[in-house]
Amino acid sequence: MTRQTKEIIIKYIFFLFALVSVIVLGLIVFSLFREGLPIFGKVSVKDFIFGMEWYPTYDPPNFGIFPLIVGSLIVTLLATVIAVPLGVMAAIYISEIAPQAIKEILKSVIELLAGLPSVVLGFFGMVIVAPWLQDTFDLPTGLNIINASMILALMAIPTISSISEDALYAVPREFKEASYALGATKFETIVQVILPAAMSGISTAVMLGMARAIGETMVVLMVAGGAAAIPESLFDSVRPMPASIAAEMGEAPFRSGHYQALFAIGIVLFFMTLFFNLVADYVSHKFRQIGSGTL
Amino acid sequence: METNIIIKLNNVNFYYGQSRALTDISMTFGKNKVTALIGPSGCGKSTLLRLLNRMNDLIDGTRVEGEILFEDKNIYAPDIDPVEIRRKIGMVFQKPNPFPKTIYNNIAYGPKLTGVNAGDLDTLVEQSLKQSVLWNEVKDILNKSAMNLSGGQQQRLCIARALAMKPDILLMDEPTSALDPISTAKIEDLIEELKKDYTIIIVTHNMQQAARISDETAFFYIGNLVEYNKTEKIFTKPDVKQTEDYITGRFG
Ligand SMILES: Nc1ncnc2c1ncn2[C@@H]1O[C@H](COP(=O)(O)OP(=O)(O)OP(=O)(O)O)[C@@H](O)[C@H]1O
Ligand SMILES: [Mg+2]
Repeated sequence: MTRQTKEIIIKYIFFLFALVSVIVLGLIVFSLFREGLPIFGKVSVKDFIFGMEWYPTYDPPNFGIFPLIVGSLIVTLLATVIAVPLGVMAAIYISEIAPQAIKEILKSVIELLAGLPSVVLGFFGMVIVAPWLQDTFDLPTGLNIINASMILALMAIPTISSISEDALYAVPREFKEASYALGATKFETIVQVILPAAMSGISTAVMLGMARAIGETMVVLMVAGGAAAIPESLFDSVRPMPASIAAEMGEAPFRSGHYQALFAIGIVLFFMTLFFNLVADYVSHKFRQIGSGTL
Repeated sequence: METNIIIKLNNVNFYYGQSRALTDISMTFGKNKVTALIGPSGCGKSTLLRLLNRMNDLIDGTRVEGEILFEDKNIYAPDIDPVEIRRKIGMVFQKPNPFPKTIYNNIAYGPKLTGVNAGDLDTLVEQSLKQSVLWNEVKDILNKSAMNLSGGQQQRLCIARALAMKPDILLMDEPTSALDPISTAKIEDLIEELKKDYTIIIVTHNMQQAARISDETAFFYIGNLVEYNKTEKIFTKPDVKQTEDYITGRFG
C-alpha cells in the first residue's frame, strides 16, 4: 500500500468517527420532533406556548406550558445574576491577582465544584438550603425560585469562571505593560484594559453558563418546588421545563397527548439552548471583528 | 547632583531569580540628551531600561541592589510609589502596543487616570498627536480603533500616548525594529524634535541609528557597562577594543 492511499484511508476513518456524533445528534433531534410534533394536532402552537394552564392529566387536558417557560427563564436569569459576578470575579482573582499557591488551590476547588454530580447539589439544596430559607423568611416551603437559582448558580460558576479565565489569560501582555508604563495601578489596568479586551470571551462564558443552567434537570426537579403556576414572588415555587419532563415522563402513557406534550417541551428547550449557543457564538465573533476597538 | 544630570546609577546589580543580568553599573544620564544603549542581544539593555521606570517590578523574583537616583531621589527607596515614577518616566516598547480602543482613548487613557478633566482632554490629545507628527493622518478618525493604523502610525501613537503624560524622560526599547525604513525615518526625525523638551534613552541594534540620533552612547556586554562616551567618540575612536569590534560588526 502506498503512503498516499494510507493517508486517504486514515482520513476517511477519522471522517467516519466525526460523522457518528453528527448522525446520533440527527437521530435524537428527529425522534424529538417525531414524538413531539403530533401534539399540535390537539392544541395550537400559540395555546401550547402561551397557555396558562398545565393540566395534562385532566379530562379534557390543558397543555399550556407558559408557566413552565416562565419558571425556566426566571430561575435561569436569577442564577445568571448570581453566578456572573462571582464567576467573573473569581476568574479575575485567579488570573491577575492571586499568588501562585492560592491560585492552584482555588482552581482545584472550582474544578471540584464542576465535578459534583447535580444530584448532590440538589440534595444540598433540599436538606440544607430549603429548611434555612423556610425558617429565616417564614415561608410555607424552602423549595422555590431563590433556592433553585442559588444551586444553579453554583453549577454555572465553574463554567463561567474557567472560560473567563482563559479569556483573561489570552489578553496580550503588551496591553498590560502599556497600561502600567502609563502609571496605571493594577486595579485600573484590570478594569480599563484587561476586562474590555477579554469581553468577547467573558460574554461567551456567560452565555454558555446560561445554557448550562437552563437545561439542568436534577437540581430544578429537587429544589424548585414543582408548582406549575406563574410565580408572584421569588419565594414562590416553580416548575421549570426540564423538571416537568423528568417528573412526568414516567407516568405519561406511550404516545398519549401528555407524552407528546412532554416531547414538545423538549423541542422548546432544544430551541432555547440552541438560541443561547448561537448568541454566544455571535457575540464572540462580533467582538473579535471589531476587536472591541470602539470601547 | 549637577543640574544637567537627570538620572544617576550607583553600583547597580540586578537579578532575575538567581541569575545576575546587570553587574555593578554606575552611570549618569544627561538632561535633554539622547542616550543610546547598544550591545549584543541578551547583554541587559532592556533590563536596564526597565529598571529606570520600575517595570521590572512586574516580574516575579527580581532583585535590585545599589541605587538609582532620579532628580536626587532613589526611585527604589521604600517610600517611593512606582506608579508616580512611571508617570514621570514614559516608555515606548519594541512592538507597537496600542490598546484595542479608539485613537482618542489611547491618548486620553493616561491623562484620565491622573484626573485631567474632560475639557482639557481634547486639547491634550491634539497637542500630543501633533508632537508625535501623527495629527494630520488621524485627525478625522479619532474615534476609530487604533488597531487599524499601520505599524509605523501605531508606534507614533504609542509615543503620543506617552507624551500625553508630560513625562520628564522617555524610554524607548528598539522603537523602530518592527518598522519599515520610511516609518523609521519619521520616528528618528521625531526623536530629534523631542529632545528639545525631553530626555530620551533609547535601546537600538541599529548602529547607524545610534550614530545619527544620539548624543551619548553606552556599550554593554554580558551585563557590564564596557564603554560610555560621546556618540561621536564611540563611533570614531572607541577606547575599548570590544566596542570597536561590536560597532564594526566583527561580533554580536
Ligand atoms: N523575564 C526574565 N526572566 C529571566 N531572565 C530574563 C528575563 N528577561 C531577560 N532575562 C535575561 O536577562 C539577560 C538580559 O536580557 P535583556 O532582555 O535585558 O537583554 P537585551 O540586551 O535587551 O537583549 P535584546 O537585544 O535581545 O533585546 C538575558 O540573559 C536574558 O535571558
Ligand atoms: Mg531588549
